[in-house]
Amino acid sequence: MYWLAIKTLFYEKGRLIITLIGIVFSTVLSLTQVSMYLGLIGNATAIIRHVDADIWIVSKNAQNFDFANPFPEERINRVKALSNVIRADKMILTWGFLKLANGGQEQVQIIGFNPDTGTGAPWNMISGSAADVKGGRYMIIDRTSEQRLGDLRVNTIWELNGRRFKLVGISQGIKSFTTSPIIFMSYLKAQQFFRETSSQKLASYIVAKVKDEGGIVETVEYLKAAMRDNDVFTRDDFVYKTVMYWTVQTGMGMGFFLTAVLGLIVGGAIVGQTVYANTMEHLREFGTLKALGARNSDIYKVIFAQTGISAVAGYTIGSVLILLAKDGIEKAGVSLYLSAGLFLILFFVILITCILSAYFSVRKVRTLDPVMVFRM
Amino acid sequence: MAPILELKKITKVYGEGENRVVAVDSVSLSLKRQEMLLIMGPSGSGKTTLLSMMGCILRPTSGEVIIDGHTVSMGKTAHSPYEDVMPDIRKQYFGFVFQSFNLFPSLTAVDNVSLILRLKKHDGKKLQADARRLIERFGLAKRGDFYPADMSGGEKQRVALARALAGDPPIILADEPTANLDSKTGLDVLRHLRELSEEEQKAIVIVSHDPKAETMADRVVFLEDGKIRNQETGDQR
Repeated sequence: MYWLAIKTLFYEKGRLIITLIGIVFSTVLSLTQVSMYLGLIGNATAIIRHVDADIWIVSKNAQNFDFANPFPEERINRVKALSNVIRADKMILTWGFLKLANGGQEQVQIIGFNPDTGTGAPWNMISGSAADVKGGRYMIIDRTSEQRLGDLRVNTIWELNGRRFKLVGISQGIKSFTTSPIIFMSYLKAQQFFRETSSQKLASYIVAKVKDEGGIVETVEYLKAAMRDNDVFTRDDFVYKTVMYWTVQTGMGMGFFLTAVLGLIVGGAIVGQTVYANTMEHLREFGTLKALGARNSDIYKVIFAQTGISAVAGYTIGSVLILLAKDGIEKAGVSLYLSAGLFLILFFVILITCILSAYFSVRKVRTLDPVMVFRM
Repeated sequence: MAPILELKKITKVYGEGENRVVAVDSVSLSLKRQEMLLIMGPSGSGKTTLLSMMGCILRPTSGEVIIDGHTVSMGKTAHSPYEDVMPDIRKQYFGFVFQSFNLFPSLTAVDNVSLILRLKKHDGKKLQADARRLIERFGLAKRGDFYPADMSGGEKQRVALARALAGDPPIILADEPTANLDSKTGLDVLRHLRELSEEEQKAIVIVSHDPKAETMADRVVFLEDGKIRNQETGDQR
């Protein structure tokens, strides 16, 4: 019966094209929405995931990585004092304005890290190295910011909040959820931006590496009790909190989710309508098949095989289109997270949507009386 | 010779109460191999309903259909896995020829025939060759790779005959096989059916209004209001 399914499917090319358009549309819309969401969430948690630390200590009630408030840096001593902590570092996250060549300015996210340990340093360096920020007003900017900041070349001088910084390195692919360009510099230089408003030495994060990962929960619980003016998270919990903030509290995740579902519904409706119309047009043939001795299950195989083949072909075309457009989309500043796992999961979602759409056709066939062949 | 197909007091009733219609009323018939039976009668006389029950496509309200000595249908009060077993019985015993040919438009002539061989689980390697041989048997050697849309009515009906013969069923049921054909082509189709009866020992049942069919049939049954009004054998005509 699969033979009949293939013969019939490819004989009616117009109908096949309409079905494929529906599935391609559904695939493209769902893949872009889900991969954009994952890309944005990936950006939002990129630094947390890349810093080699098991514990994050942040200001009280910090909702996510990007919106941390500063707190006194000497609190790091309480962390270092723990026997299970082998290393602790301070990091800074603040905001500034970078003056552009055209006279305008762009708000930027400033990350201050320890260039000696490299904790919080940029990765994927395509020019210079993270340690180059040490000892002066040096900074590293990510290549993805070029669209907003203009041409990035090392050894050029930039003005950040009225201070001159030398660009000593360029990284690739580090973005924040807020889409503001990220500038990396040494912890001490970044801290000077806090000094403008406070005489205290402030940090935005304390990150710690533990000796025994099995004891991480006890360590976190201890720090929570000892540092009541801060929130303490494991790395995974801080990633989760950041993801949930952007997904649930801002409603952004729901927006992407609804658009992806809409894509599946529209695609599924097109497939279902096409398969159903196809079944109605072939009722006479299905009736003939039944009269000639085919069972309902034989005809279901034809319908499901055609739907399955259409789903695979449409999904493949849609996926190839997305892969071809990926670079162009990312150059426009949109991050797409496309992985083999995502392709596989969405393939099954699309396939199930298509199979469900074919269900109405199957129902029609089940009640089809083969006597009809003598009445036509 | 034992009958290959036997109907015993077959009745088909549609509807209930005031809408009750007796389409076929206690009809008994038997058919032997190598016999060509013609069923005639006015429209609404129950010919097609009778043919459907003969072919195990329609379940009788009461009575028995006996094929090759096996009873395959019972009245509606008896428990019978009718819908479960009928497809296999149709595949094994029957070939069908329809008034409107009922060919698959997306399949070539050869593929239309091989579809039935596939349905009957014939040897995959020989399928296409066997189907082509059947097509050639009906004079369509050069039309085997044509789609139904590119064929004449007569050619389509010959493909339908080849399809009916696929898998070598002992009984061929033809519903108005000449109705959509011109006189000469219709006669050609009837001759083919006659040949199948004589040369391949097929039992043939034809439902038709076509007077030409009368001259070909071994026996003619006249149906009226669901009942057999008259039966004539070739000798009596």
